[in-house]
Amino acid sequence: MNELMNFWAQWLRPSAGLPTVQWSLLLAVAAIAGHLLQRHVGLPKVVGYTLVGTLAGLAGFSGAPWPLQGISLFLLELGLAVVLFEAGGRIPLRWFRHNPMVLVQSIAESALTYFAVYWTLAWLGLERQVAGPLALVALAASPSVLTRVVADNRAAGPVTERAIVLSTLSTLYALTLGSARAELMNRSSITFSDTVSPVMVVLGVSIVVAAALALALRTALRFMAPTSENTSIMLLTLVAAATAVAAHMGGSAPLAALLGAMLLKQFNPRPWAWPRQLGNASALLTMLMFVLVSTVAAQADWSGRVAGLVLALIAVRLVAKVVGVALGNVGSGASWRQALLVASAMTPMSSIALLIASQFVVASPQTGPLIAQIALPAILLMEVAGAVIATLAIYRAGESSKPWAPLTTRESAGENHGS
Amino acid sequence: MGLETFNHSEPLTLGVELELQLVNTHDYDLAPYAEDMLRLMEKHPLPGSVVPEMTSGMIEVSTGICHSSSEVLGQLTQIRDALVKCADKLNIAVVGGGTHPFQQWHERRIYDKPRFRELSDLYGYLSKQFTIFGQHVHIGCPDADSALLMLHRMSRFIPHFIALSASSPYIQGQDTAFDSARLNSVFAFPLSGRAPMALTWRDFEVYFDKMTHTGVVRSMKDFYWDIRPKPEFGTIEIRVFDTPLTIERAAALSGFVQSLGAWFLADQPFMPQEDDYLVYTYNRFQACRFGMDAVYVDPATGGHMPLREHIMRTIDQIAGHAAAHGATGALHLLRSEAAAGQNDARWFRERQREEQLLAEVTRQAAQRFRGRD
Repeated sequence: MNELMNFWAQWLRPSAGLPTVQWSLLLAVAAIAGHLLQRHVGLPKVVGYTLVGTLAGLAGFSGAPWPLQGISLFLLELGLAVVLFEAGGRIPLRWFRHNPMVLVQSIAESALTYFAVYWTLAWLGLERQVAGPLALVALAASPSVLTRVVADNRAAGPVTERAIVLSTLSTLYALTLGSARAELMNRSSITFSDTVSPVMVVLGVSIVVAAALALALRTALRFMAPTSENTSIMLLTLVAAATAVAAHMGGSAPLAALLGAMLLKQFNPRPWAWPRQLGNASALLTMLMFVLVSTVAAQADWSGRVAGLVLALIAVRLVAKVVGVALGNVGSGASWRQALLVASAMTPMSSIALLIASQFVVASPQTGPLIAQIALPAILLMEVAGAVIATLAIYRAGESSKPWAPLTTRESAGENHGS
Repeated sequence: MGLETFNHSEPLTLGVELELQLVNTHDYDLAPYAEDMLRLMEKHPLPGSVVPEMTSGMIEVSTGICHSSSEVLGQLTQIRDALVKCADKLNIAVVGGGTHPFQQWHERRIYDKPRFRELSDLYGYLSKQFTIFGQHVHIGCPDADSALLMLHRMSRFIPHFIALSASSPYIQGQDTAFDSARLNSVFAFPLSGRAPMALTWRDFEVYFDKMTHTGVVRSMKDFYWDIRPKPEFGTIEIRVFDTPLTIERAAALSGFVQSLGAWFLADQPFMPQEDDYLVYTYNRFQACRFGMDAVYVDPATGGHMPLREHIMRTIDQIAGHAAAHGATGALHLLRSEAAAGQNDARWFRERQREEQLLAEVTRQAAQRFRGRD
């Protein structure tokens, strides 16, 4: 692979550099794979992107360094920020006043996932310094995978909406605690204030950037039409600026975007009109994110013990999410069946988990590789399997507007429920 | 199956049904939450009922038997408050209006119920395009023959009902130039339009038997007429109203129907005849297209006049009967709206001119339904 790259580098000298060509071609192949998989097998496009990224990673593709840094880290953070900005805009804070059980549901499933994964991994012999961060990685569901699956299937409904909201909230907790935990990894004495202060710093900086972002957008929306292309571009560029600033100041860029969207929704309850305009730009960024995640994750070292731990983590995480969502379901307005489907739709792990894992690796050269050894395969597996499970859950909930392809002519022409 | 017996009901009692939209709170498109809303609404003891409708972003609420429009308003207020509470819990909103301004019909899903599936199989895409929202008003009739007489008398006032309730100027993001575009969707159904001219129940039974013999219809439910007899309730059901944006207007419209009915029963003001229907479709079109600015052709004299003037004249004419049934306030509301040339369709257009975003107009319509202008 490297020889081929070297030969290619000598032969081709493009203006934007060879990595640009490599990434462009890789994304083109991923787009084709995603399309074909969905068209002929009915699997979500994300699966195609991930498979192409995985193959590239296994083949030694050198365009994605690990731990994440430089432009690849920025692109991942930007992609996440855009996804979380859109997802955050679906969370009106007043909903929790009318239905506090949704918040209880969210906290229950996140807390249960964290502790269940932590205790299981500790029981299987992992050190606390490794099990703890891995539990935080496992806590995060993936709004990016879920929203792509939802977009692919043009899904809408109670299960879809709640799964997006709970995934987004779990991301909020994971980003805050994960970033703070990464800060703590190199400290020898840990008092209460040592534990709390990094959380406060991450949250504080993210909130300040989020407030600035929300204020800027709120001001712009006073005189700009929300459906205008220029508004979408302004939004995208402001999110990009906030991403760079938040990361630089010690906050979490995706967290800042998420909180910014929630603040904007709170102070500007007008409809969220720009996701349709953002369309292709957002789709390209998220696709890049999936390929990047799988390329990096595929570079993990496998062994029998690692495989066992990875499977244990995945299984316990799945059960914990189901039990957690079910525990908080009482009085939350959803049926038991819907709760099960919501929990299933929350199984994907992807870019947020990778970002948090990367932070741990950067923060601690000793434990970081041990964390990555288990986190990366888990992320890779759950980017693919999670996308499939989420798709099935949405079909079983009857919330997809598209038939599962390929189908018979009659089913395609007639009613198109998945169940 | 033969025609049901026309049951007894107390004359001039009212029953109101409202088909309502369920929308999400981020882009205000229709949201398939009917099943969840029905499940949550079951926990609220309410008058009337809440049932699913053709597609899963719709529900229908109905009052019990009411004696006045103020009783209708009282019951609708209870139902509305419960709806809003359940919607808040689900993070959705409930909205009136005859159409959702920008929903795409092909994205709709048929509610999972045998009758709706059967209709979907028969009517194909029309069933999804039937994601439109109307108000139905039932009025109690003394007996079957009186019901038919009332039905055909009421037909003269169909344009009035349409113009006063029109709230569907937008379809799939476009201004249709109609005040009530909803009724154009109803017209696509083969058994829509006017009821046949039968003034006795015996004649109507003969007509019904002929129709069932052809195999085209099996029950009264298969007729999508503007007004149809409802033998099991002992009422006639007026179906041309768009769902208004507020329950106050919905109740006021029922008061108008009741006052007209009282006038018919007390004064027997005119005898309906087949020739009334010569101008029926034209008047109906005018009201759908121009709302309060429509021209009304008097079926009896053939004279032309602005519909809004005829509405005001009619309201003045029935004021005494309205007072006797506690509908003075209701008619006052409608009269002042007619005088100002105002209806919900105009409100939609004014808001859209201001906002340039139908989703925002829908959000504001949801606020109006909650009782917050």
